[in-house]
Amino acid sequence: MGYILGIYRRLISVQIRSQMQYRFPFIVELVVTGFVTISGFVTLAFVLQRFGSIGGWKLGEVAFLYGLVETSFGIMDMIFSGFDPGNFGRQTRLGRFDQLLLRPVNITVQVLGSEFIIRRLGRIAQGFVILILALTMAHINWTFGKILFLPVVIASQIAFFGGLFIIGATISFWTLESIEIVNIFTYGGTEMMSYPMQIYPNWLRDFFSYILPAIFLNYFPALYFLGKPDPLHFPTFAPFLAPVAGFGVLAIALAFWNYGIRHYQSTGT
Amino acid sequence: MRLFIELAKRSFQRQLSYRAATFAGLATNFFFGMLRVAVMVALYQTRGEVNGISLRGAITFTGLTQALIGFLSLFGWYDMMNSIYTGAVASDLLKPMGYFNFWLAQDLGRALAQLVLRGFTMMAAYAVLIGISFPHGIGQWTALTVSLILAWLISFSWRFLVNLSGFWTPDARAIGRFGFVLLYFVTGFLMPLRFFPDWFVRMCDYTPFPHMVNTVVEIYLGVLSGPQVAVVLTKQVVWVVLLVFICQLTLRSGVRRLVIQGG
Repeated sequence: MGYILGIYRRLISVQIRSQMQYRFPFIVELVVTGFVTISGFVTLAFVLQRFGSIGGWKLGEVAFLYGLVETSFGIMDMIFSGFDPGNFGRQTRLGRFDQLLLRPVNITVQVLGSEFIIRRLGRIAQGFVILILALTMAHINWTFGKILFLPVVIASQIAFFGGLFIIGATISFWTLESIEIVNIFTYGGTEMMSYPMQIYPNWLRDFFSYILPAIFLNYFPALYFLGKPDPLHFPTFAPFLAPVAGFGVLAIALAFWNYGIRHYQSTGT
Repeated sequence: MRLFIELAKRSFQRQLSYRAATFAGLATNFFFGMLRVAVMVALYQTRGEVNGISLRGAITFTGLTQALIGFLSLFGWYDMMNSIYTGAVASDLLKPMGYFNFWLAQDLGRALAQLVLRGFTMMAAYAVLIGISFPHGIGQWTALTVSLILAWLISFSWRFLVNLSGFWTPDARAIGRFGFVLLYFVTGFLMPLRFFPDWFVRMCDYTPFPHMVNTVVEIYLGVLSGPQVAVVLTKQVVWVVLLVFICQLTLRSGVRRLVIQGG
């Protein structure tokens, strides 16, 4: 275990050093990735100024959802970028994955260490700023339980999104192409989770509750933090299923990934 | 001119051959469209019109903007920048036609293919599955067509300009990403600019960006009066002329300092 962690640390430090070589593009990227998050928030603020609320949720409350998802997705996107389905498909097609297989080190750790995009710090920082803003606007009644639960929710979301990336990457073992459909679940999932999920049509929400349990990672925990009633009448323990849903998806994804590796056939390039 | 048409035709056909990618893109665009529809419905609730736009209009807005993503390359376009880095630019500059027109012709083919494959199909899917409004009468359809062409020219000039930065720096992708990310926000892609505060809309009006998306949307939805339509179309023409001029100027100084990086 210590050996594997040592390898991972070294792979990551190589990544960071090489990315810091080009200072100017690095700084521009940092600003750009953050700008996306901020402009999303400003759009929301502008629109809610005109409409008042969305599905009964005020700016601070929606911003809580948005800030939380942006922060977790940003952290996930930094750690799990080796599994980014778009990128991973290309690497496999070019035969780079075969090179990794030849090395006597755990393959999952190698892929995890093959990319670590630090410019995502821009997105994480701005997501965090929005989260802080939301926390001051939404008047949350803080209890000891809530303070302890917030990092658990963030960790669960990171596991959840990471699981989606791994599933997407595994699918490309067979398709060999970066499949845009996977974006529906990853980027579509984040977009969806940025709004109170009661606003979506039933079939869509059911899919993101029972098949892909996104609703337990953001919506129900947010109800708990904000002290809002649940219009969907789920059991009262629903908010606390976040870690089960998040780490459950990650576990299933890893099992699928291992299955994929056992059945992997190289393209021969 | 014959060369121009031939290039456009080739590029059109090239787009038609990526069938799986087109379908995947369409499905993704439609999924996001549905999420945006749900947001609009939740915002409007029982409201009638908000600043001239009804709920049906707002839903149509989401369909129209999703339909324009491919046509206007709203999520970014790096082909030209990449050709600068691979060195292909050297032979492109030797072609018996201007560098701007060379790319304009290819983008015309690309844009038309995207309009048919991902634009019309998206609107058809929206019309059948969700329900949208359509422009009325020959006047509005004509204005819409003219506005679409001008919007494409503005979008192309902007993308050309952003890609030209490849002449100056060996890694312009970051600059490119900024130039494109900006578009979601200030073109009126994310939300109709009418929903934004007046001071912000006035600020955007000093830039070409609202004329890429928002103008097309407002003409389509019929929220502008006859004289207002004439004004926005004139503004579009002015921006086209201005941007093409800036492109030519920038191109000229860019070519002078271009260093081909191998090939």
